Amino acid sequence: MALARVRDLSFSYPEAAPALRNVSLDIEPGEVVALFGPSGSGKSTLLRALAGLVPHFHGGRFAGRVEVAGRDTRTTRPADLAGTVATLFQDPEDQVVFTRVEAEVAFGLENIGTPPAEIPLRATAALEAVGAGELADRPVAELSGGELQRVCLASVLALSPELLLLDEPTSQLDPDGAAAAIGLARSSGAAVVVSEHRPERVLEACDRVIFLDEGRVCENGLPDAWLPRDPDLPSGEPTGAAVCGLEAVSFAYDRPVLDGVSLEIGRGEIVALLGPNGSGKTTIGKLAAGLLDAQSGRVVRHGRACYLSQDPGRYLVAERADEEVALAVGGDLVRARVALSDMGLAGYADRHPRDLSSGERERLALAAVLVAEPDLLVLDEPTRGVDPERKDELVRLLRAQAPGRATLVATNDLVFAGAVADRVVSTIPEREAVLA
Amino acid sequence: MRPAASAALLAGLAAAALLAHRTASVAAIAALLLVVCLRAPPGRRRLYLVGALVSGLAVVLVTPFVETIGSHPLWTGPTVPVLGQLDVTSEELRNGLFQGLRLTAVALAFAAYALLLDHDRLVQSARVARRSVLAVALATRLVPTLERDAAGLVEALRGRGVEVSGVRGRARLLSPLLAGSLERALNLAEAMEARGYGRPGATRSPRPGWTDRDRAALVAAALLVAIGALWL
Repeated sequence: MALARVRDLSFSYPEAAPALRNVSLDIEPGEVVALFGPSGSGKSTLLRALAGLVPHFHGGRFAGRVEVAGRDTRTTRPADLAGTVATLFQDPEDQVVFTRVEAEVAFGLENIGTPPAEIPLRATAALEAVGAGELADRPVAELSGGELQRVCLASVLALSPELLLLDEPTSQLDPDGAAAAIGLARSSGAAVVVSEHRPERVLEACDRVIFLDEGRVCENGLPDAWLPRDPDLPSGEPTGAAVCGLEAVSFAYDRPVLDGVSLEIGRGEIVALLGPNGSGKTTIGKLAAGLLDAQSGRVVRHGRACYLSQDPGRYLVAERADEEVALAVGGDLVRARVALSDMGLAGYADRHPRDLSSGERERLALAAVLVAEPDLLVLDEPTRGVDPERKDELVRLLRAQAPGRATLVATNDLVFAGAVADRVVSTIPEREAVLA
Repeated sequence: MRPAASAALLAGLAAAALLAHRTASVAAIAALLLVVCLRAPPGRRRLYLVGALVSGLAVVLVTPFVETIGSHPLWTGPTVPVLGQLDVTSEELRNGLFQGLRLTAVALAFAAYALLLDHDRLVQSARVARRSVLAVALATRLVPTLERDAAGLVEALRGRGVEVSGVRGRARLLSPLLAGSLERALNLAEAMEARGYGRPGATRSPRPGWTDRDRAALVAAALLVAIGALWL
C-alpha cells in the first residue's frame, strides 16, 4: 500500500494563479523520488501539500485529496503529521529555532513526544550520521552555510520519519557533501521525495523521477536541459590583460582561511573558483572585489569591480525593481530598464522586488550588478536555487558579455563551471594555496 | 549557574533599579551591570552597549526640556508652542540623570541577558509558559539577526559600488530589514509547525537539577527587589 497518495490535487495560494493542477501520484514506502521542474513549477508546493502545510499554514484554494500514512492532510494538522513526515526546507537559515546545535536537533524530538532519556541519544546519533558530531555544542550563528544545512538534515533524520521531504537539500553543499547527504537520506529507510535543481546530484540515488511543469506532472520524461551532464572542466592559462591580481594574500576570520594565495584574472576570461565548503572561495571573491582588505599580500585591481553575494534576492533595498537596478548607476532609470529587459524582466520595472518569485529576484539582483558594466564581475554561487534552463541562460549571458570584462565565479556547481568557465581554479585546504 | 537563576538575578537587578529612590544607588546598579556586560565578546556587545548608553543619554538630555519641576532655574529660554517656555532647573537635571540611569540599567540588564545567557537552556528549563519563554528567546535573537542582515545589505550595496553612509543612507536599510524580518518570521513559523511545535504531549530533554548556588541566586534576586524598594 502506498505511504502517500495524492489524488487530483489542485491548489492556488491566496490571490495567485494555480500552483498545482490535477496532480495525482503515489509514494511507496522506502522509495526515493526525485522531483524536478523549473522554478515556480510547483515542486515546493507539492512538498508542502505532502507535509500538510498546504492548505493549513498557507491558506488558499485546495481541491483533491492527499493522504499520508492513511491520514487525510485536510483533517490532520501539520504538527500532528510531524514525526511521520519530516521536511527540510530550502533555506536552512530560516528554519533554525534555537541558538545551539544540540538544542536545535532536539527540538523536533521534544515536540513529537520522544521519551526524555532518548532525546540526547537520538540527537547525537543524527548529528554523527551527517558528519556534524563535533558541532553539537557550537552556536548556530557561527556555522557556515554547508554546516548549517547538515545540522538541519540531522534535525529531520533524528525524527526517523516514514516520509522525508527534502527541498533543495544540497544547495549549499559541495559535491562530496551533497552525495553524502543524499546517500544518508536514502539509507534512512524512509520514503524520500527530494526536490533538486541539480539532477546530477540525485539521479543516481533515486528510484523514480517526477517532472513538474506549470503545476502539472509531465509524462514525457526529462527535458534535455535536465538530463545529467558530465562536467567538462577547462584547464586553460590566464589570458588577457590582468584586471585583478591577488599576490600572496592571506586572510583570517577567527581562524585562518587563506594563506599565501595568488590568482590573476584577465579581461575577457571567466574563471571558475571551485573548492569544498569553508575553503575560502567567498573570501577570495570579496578580496578580489575590494569588499575585504588582505591582511598580508597585495590585491591589484584595475577599473570598477562588482560583487554579487550568495542568496542575493534577500538583499534588495528599493521599493521598485527599476530603482533597485538604478542604484549602481546613479539613479539612471533608462539604463536600469535596459538591464532589466536583458534579464527577461522587462515588464517588472514598477514591481516591488519582494513581490517577485525567488528566481526573478535572483535575476533582478544580477541585473543590479551587470548594469554597472564592471571591469571585474564576481559572482558567489550564482546557480543556487536556479533551474537548469535558467542556468543555461546565465551561461549564455555571461559568455556573451565575457569579452568586455574579467569574471570570477565562486561555485560548487561543477556542470555550470564546466559550461561557463575558460579556466578553473580550485581551493584545496591541504595545500593552502590556489592552484591554477 | 542555571540560565533561569541568572535571568532571575538580572531581573532582580533591573527591578531594583526601577524601584530605587537614590541616583547613586541606580548608578551603582548600572555600573555593576556594565561590568557584567563587558564579559561578552567585544564584537557582539558593542551594539547593545551603544544602544543602552545612547538611550540613557537621550533621556538625560530631553527630560529637562519636557519637565516643569523645581524652583532653581539654571537657564531660561524662549517660549515654544505646545511646550511653553523652555527652562532648565537643577531639579530637572537631577531627575533627568536619575531617569536616564534607570533606563540604562534596565537596558544593560537586557543586554546581559541577550549576550551572556544560554537561551536554549532557558527555554528547555521553563516549566510554565514555555511558549512565552520561546517567544522571548526568538525575539532576543532578532537583534543579532538584524545586525547580520544589515551587514549583508551594506555588503550587497558595496558590491554594486554604492557606499552606505550617513543617517539617510542607513535609514534606507530600515524598510528592507523590516520586510526581511517578516519573511524570516513566516518561514520560521512554517518550519516550527512542520516540526511538531504546538502538538500535545511534547516532552523535554533531560535537565540538570537545581544546585544550592541556583537557589541562592533566586533568593538574592528576591532580596534585590525588596532592598531596591525599601532602602536604595
